[in-house]
Amino acid sequence: MAFWIELVIAGLVSGLVIGLSALSITLVFGIARFPNAATGDTMTLGAYGALIGHRITGSLIAGGILGAAAGALVGVLGYLLIFRQLARRSNVALLVASIGLGFMLRAAMGVAFGHSQSVFQLPLVRPWRLGEVPIQPNDLWLALAAGSALMVVFGVLYLTPIGRRMRAVADDAALARVSGISPDRVMIALWVLAGAVAAVAGMIAGIKTVVSPEMGWDLLLPAFSAAIFGGIGSPVGAVVAGLILGVAQEVATPFVGFTYKIALAFVVMLFVLLVRPRGLFGKLEGAR
Amino acid sequence: MKLVIENLTCAFGGFRAVDEVSFEAESGGLVGVIGPNGAGKSTLFSLITGFLAGQGGTVRLDGHDISALPPHERARAGMVRTFQVPKEFAHLTVRENLMAAAPNQSGENLVDLFLRPAAIRREESAIAARVDDTIAFLKLGAVADVPSGKLSGGQKKLLELGRVLMTRPKLILLDEPFAGVNPVLIEEISGHIRALNADGIGFIIIEHDLGALSRLAGALHVMDRGRLIASGAPGEVLKRANVREAYLGGAA
Amino acid sequence: MEAYLVAILIITAIYVLLSLGLTLQYGLTGLINFGHVGFFCIGAYAAAILSAYAGLPVIVGFLAAIVLAGLAAFPIGLIALRLRDDYFAIVTLGFSETVRIIVTSEKQLTNGVQGIPGIPRLVDGVGILSALAVLAVLLAANGAAIYAFRRIVASPFGRMIEAIRDNEEAVKALGKDPARFKIQVLVLGAALAGLSGAFYAHYIGYVSPDQFNPLVTFYVWMAIIMGGVGRISGAIVGTALLMLFLEGSRFLRDVMPFISAVDMASIRIGAVGLALVLFTLYRPQGLMGDFTRRR
Repeated sequence: MAFWIELVIAGLVSGLVIGLSALSITLVFGIARFPNAATGDTMTLGAYGALIGHRITGSLIAGGILGAAAGALVGVLGYLLIFRQLARRSNVALLVASIGLGFMLRAAMGVAFGHSQSVFQLPLVRPWRLGEVPIQPNDLWLALAAGSALMVVFGVLYLTPIGRRMRAVADDAALARVSGISPDRVMIALWVLAGAVAAVAGMIAGIKTVVSPEMGWDLLLPAFSAAIFGGIGSPVGAVVAGLILGVAQEVATPFVGFTYKIALAFVVMLFVLLVRPRGLFGKLEGAR
Repeated sequence: MKLVIENLTCAFGGFRAVDEVSFEAESGGLVGVIGPNGAGKSTLFSLITGFLAGQGGTVRLDGHDISALPPHERARAGMVRTFQVPKEFAHLTVRENLMAAAPNQSGENLVDLFLRPAAIRREESAIAARVDDTIAFLKLGAVADVPSGKLSGGQKKLLELGRVLMTRPKLILLDEPFAGVNPVLIEEISGHIRALNADGIGFIIIEHDLGALSRLAGALHVMDRGRLIASGAPGEVLKRANVREAYLGGAA
Repeated sequence: MEAYLVAILIITAIYVLLSLGLTLQYGLTGLINFGHVGFFCIGAYAAAILSAYAGLPVIVGFLAAIVLAGLAAFPIGLIALRLRDDYFAIVTLGFSETVRIIVTSEKQLTNGVQGIPGIPRLVDGVGILSALAVLAVLLAANGAAIYAFRRIVASPFGRMIEAIRDNEEAVKALGKDPARFKIQVLVLGAALAGLSGAFYAHYIGYVSPDQFNPLVTFYVWMAIIMGGVGRISGAIVGTALLMLFLEGSRFLRDVMPFISAVDMASIRIGAVGLALVLFTLYRPQGLMGDFTRRR
């Protein structure tokens, strides 16, 4: 029993990574209307940013803030330099450009940081015990970090004027435009949030495993899978689906083996698209 | 062929774009659907032709319930629509657009393509002959080999009508055939519609502009905010107070 | 020098098969296949396993490569082709990653990350003559593919897939089911990629999972975007440009030895990324013009 509970806890932590990255994807998909394939490499950037911040200051919180800032900056730059110019083009053009942007980010990080894996130097802490189940204090801190990132995103989305406008654009871009909502402001707010959230997801993934220039790309498929599972454009759905997918991956590992974890994400995606293309909380139209 | 729709309903969120609409149309008839912008006319077409799934109601064609059929099967049954904004195959020429619309082409089957080339050539020349007739009928000869994306708005409307005719339809649903079309061309399109109608093809026509339509249609249905508010002969319907208020009141 | 040139031409011819498949899928039909490398991988492994492990004749491996890659496309098409095109892109991308995971994990069949060595050459012998013979076979295969391609483009089928690319709703409104056409195109393009994979396996003589990462897919995308989507000439010219770029980057390292091999790999990825961005921004129709039909 303790074994399974441990797996579920590990799944919840990786589910936070998937959920946050899916949240970034679903925000962009819902508001800027294309699947952003640069999300994975933004995660990598966040991990490196946090790594550097942590090495310099010795504080994970400072590292996380630096990583999130780097992610937000790349998000905004990507919008201003690329995606804004393509706003009137098909979502395919945007998707291809986002893959190009991702490649450029990955190349830059490969040259800048080398291809060896880096790890966060964290002190070893004896796990707490809850009955027979060991609990890593670090996991709790990471959950706290993820939770605060989520609170910021949902706070902005549902409690601020700019969040209200973002949701209005997500509901009906044309209607929002005629009612005088400035697309630029909404988009910059969107890319700050999307970039920062992806970066925090990358930082958590980097702390749990290792940091390398390719890490984000490998996390992209589960993120897309969760975004679709949750329902494109639904922030709550992305997080819930990410947690479900994370737990499912860990619990399935004893049966299907370690390498098939990512394949499971693909199977879940196919299954959702087959039986319920709008996902858990998605809008009726959409996928078709 | 007889089309019967009953209680068609479609809601987006809480907003009912089409609300319990019922009427009939048949081959040889000519029905107009009018109403102010946003009354739900185009949505109604999409419901009838299967491009939108509504929240209730039935569509019957010659007594068969086709409410669950996908759009291409409804079209194959003989009920073919056009779009408010023409959807030409922009990179194909006018001629190729019309060729593509011909039904049941064995050249669209990859196996036949390589095993029965002679049969396909024969079929192609038969289709080409029909296309020539259609081009002549619609007077599109001057632009026959121009990529259709380069046509004017009115020419695109004609091309869409031509493509529909190539499918040998029994009932044609035209979405604003006169919008953005110059008066001379409007008369011409009206003439085509009358001629086809006389040959037994049924029409349902959405129009925002009343003039041309009220001269064509045998019956008018008036929609306002998703509901059918009046039906009957054009002269009589347009006199009704609620129609004048809903439809003309804003303009007067 | 001649040997080098022939080797480049062989690799180019292998890539042209991939580009033709994608041109059929994206250039003509508008399918955003981001998982092309997955079908290439299936073809390569099918040929490798059947010839190196099972010892079957090379031709059996080739047929299996074509059939298996085509068959793999079928369920993907069934599920994803009724969805919006960007979903299709994600699904195919996921498919190719999943294929790579499977060939990494099924060690009994594929020897895992170590890969399969000792795949027999298409033509025995080492000198330039055998290489030329391989090139001749490849050119024949390309010729056959281009012939079939042109037949399809000039046919009612070709007209219909271009109509689908231009406006799928209108195709439905005319009583034709776009999915029926799209799935055939997907399968055909995948079968071509499978054929290309078989050539690749027999030419390189060795397959391992890391040869089939998504970068290969985007190399091919870059090739057809550079060449101009929707044309045979574009696929060939674009692939030649791609080879120039890939080989040129190798020369760059000879001139500037201080750039390490891994950095060069990064620079290559970055250049592909930059090219994808610049072409979508400034030359969306590629170098060779637009979609307009020319036979």
